[in-house]
Amino acid sequence: MEALSPFELEVARLLVETLHLEDIQPEDITPEEPLFGEGLGLDSIDALELALAISKTYGFQLRSEDKDNRRIFASLRALSQHIAQQRTR
Amino acid sequence: MSQQWARLPERGTPLMLRLIRWIALHIGRPVGRALLYPITLYFLLTAPAARRGSQRFLRRALGREPGWWGVFRHIHCFAATILDRVYFLTGRLQPFDIEIFGDSLIVEQAASGQGCVLLGSHLGSFEALRAIGVTLRHFPIKILMNTGHNQDITGFLNALNPALAQAIIPIGGPDTLLRVQESVAQGSMVGVLGDRVIADERTVRVRFFDRETVFPAGPLLLAALVGCPVILFFGLYRGGHRYEIHFERLAERIALDRPRRQEQLAVWVQRYADRLEHYARLAPYNWFNFYDYWEEEA
Repeated sequence: MEALSPFELEVARLLVETLHLEDIQPEDITPEEPLFGEGLGLDSIDALELALAISKTYGFQLRSEDKDNRRIFASLRALSQHIAQQRTR
Repeated sequence: MSQQWARLPERGTPLMLRLIRWIALHIGRPVGRALLYPITLYFLLTAPAARRGSQRFLRRALGREPGWWGVFRHIHCFAATILDRVYFLTGRLQPFDIEIFGDSLIVEQAASGQGCVLLGSHLGSFEALRAIGVTLRHFPIKILMNTGHNQDITGFLNALNPALAQAIIPIGGPDTLLRVQESVAQGSMVGVLGDRVIADERTVRVRFFDRETVFPAGPLLLAALVGCPVILFFGLYRGGHRYEIHFERLAERIALDRPRRQEQLAVWVQRYADRLEHYARLAPYNWFNFYDYWEEEA
């Protein structure tokens, strides 16, 4: 299995904690696997909770107008890259 | 169960809907209302699943066998509200007598500038709310709606009023609820219907008409996450040209502790189900979920 970068692991921990994914270990998430629908099976309520947690932790807002949202939310890797670019703390 | 409800609009679209819309726009309401009788009869004879759904519901709500006349009246009520939706959507409100209950609640909420969730249902006509709230009073109302199904009644009728159509937040994509959250933060009132479970969305078990069934968890969970008030609305059709809109406050704020979230949420959804049942008993022929609502057909 492909290893997570340290920052991807940090985001994976936030994801698992925020969404109370009890049967999933952060390090077991495949970085390219889809987060929504197939793969981890998250839904739009998870996406909202995750966005609120990201804003609290990293100090920036994910915006619904962002045309890249499908790409940003596509996988742990894509989400981590976006956070790394946008974070203010 | 997931896609069952879709059958009715699908079946109704080509014939009933197109016909009703055309009549409403080109011939007028009195003739349109007369033609609702043969249209209702046609529908009654050709849509057995909807007929069974109606019987099942009415049996519970009325406490007796509804008979053919009861089912006819039920479908007729549905068809009448579709006809009127055409007028509501095109802003022709003169023929109607719309009485509002709990009006100060919604007026004060709008005046406060604070957003909220407006939680409705498929009981009666939510178009009456849009007619009053958006067209007459210019409240900042948006509607969270499933538009994926292009034959859906609402999508079809929305073509009549592009301005109202713009105030729709389409369900789909992970950022849908982010958009709701932003809208509420900007002071919008976001309308959502909370009585129909779609596909594999999250659900809560509730008692409804003395029997267990599932309601969507999403609308109230959303309100809890966004941290905004929840106002219930019911737009009842009372026959002739009369409508009633009822507003009630469900919650100033829904607070959930993460570990006990599901059970706390169930209490709130049950309160919504109780109010829905109250109004459904008041106006049983307004119940527009023409499918096996309690999942009794194995």
